[in-house]
Amino acid sequence: MNFRVFPACIVLLVATTASAATPVVEIEIRDHLFYPDVVEIPANTKVKLLIRNLDPTPEEFESYELNREKVIAGNSETVVFIGPLPAGEYPFFGEFFPKTAQGKVVAK
Amino acid sequence: MLSNAVILILQETLEAALLISVLAAVCYLHRFRFGWLCWGVVLGIALASLYASQLQVVSEWFDYVGQEVINASLQAAVSILLVVLYLVLPRSPGNRSTAIPHPANRGNRVSLLTAMAIVMLTITREGSEIVLYLGGLIRQGDHIEAVLIGSSLGFGIGLSIGVLMFYGLLGLPARWVVRVTSFLLALFSGNMLSQAAMQLIQADWLPASQPVWDSSDLVSEHTVMGQLLYALVGYEATPPAWYVAAYVTGFLGVAAAIALRRANREALV
Repeated sequence: MNFRVFPACIVLLVATTASAATPVVEIEIRDHLFYPDVVEIPANTKVKLLIRNLDPTPEEFESYELNREKVIAGNSETVVFIGPLPAGEYPFFGEFFPKTAQGKVVAK
Repeated sequence: MLSNAVILILQETLEAALLISVLAAVCYLHRFRFGWLCWGVVLGIALASLYASQLQVVSEWFDYVGQEVINASLQAAVSILLVVLYLVLPRSPGNRSTAIPHPANRGNRVSLLTAMAIVMLTITREGSEIVLYLGGLIRQGDHIEAVLIGSSLGFGIGLSIGVLMFYGLLGLPARWVVRVTSFLLALFSGNMLSQAAMQLIQADWLPASQPVWDSSDLVSEHTVMGQLLYALVGYEATPPAWYVAAYVTGFLGVAAAIALRRANREALV
């Protein structure tokens, strides 16, 4: 057994399982609205939210329940990691346009 | 649009205004001139504009978590600089009657630079959001008047609370003012380090965890009280473990620096 290869294998294994185990959920922002506005995710699992802002104006993805806040420049995309979350509802909103940009994450 | 602008600008302004007012009170007690404050504000606004203009580029760094990494760095730097400030501050007169703002100015250069850097970095992070928000709305071209009036109101309220805080602190009995300002800056240090931890959790650089407690029934972050407490002491209704650990570390960092000062002073006497 080549012991120098062994740690490298473990790193590779962990990296592969980590990336394979993190589901990606896409959200779009159009006309200051979230699509979809109800985002279903598996409970007790870390999820990668891929948020695409198709508006020319920046928006801030914010949620007190998820403890998340991130500015997304106009016409760009970004990533926000959430969870693992117990089953339940977690509202989020667009801080720059909160009257319309409202949504929630539902962990099942 | 108007009320949105008031709330958003107020939220962004308040945290910076409170920190700067406490810092200003400390420097007033040390008879420092306020020129450093102006430089910190000017440089902060310049850096905030630069950060806002490069947000999209920064965002894509480190596999789309560049923004979290930069914000966490800015916040951690403020927390560390608050500890440094208490290590380098010359001995406080601690007596308001002797603290005349204009004449004597023997504060050492390192304290002034540290205080300036704290102001600058705080404004860089909070200010960049304001620049992005206003820039986006102005480019869109709708409701510009309402947005500008709302923003001015929000900014004015935030600034007024900061000024009230400054005079409120200086109005305290002499033996209390040093204690209260030290305690508040220790809280700010904890607050900044815990927000940095939260950013790194969001970036998946620190492990997420279940909330250590849930006080959302007691004080919800959706309420005015929740928002005020957030700005003043970094209140979170559902804080993860790393948030609490970072908060305690930041607070104890400043507390340790103060204890060290006290020990040194007693050794000198």
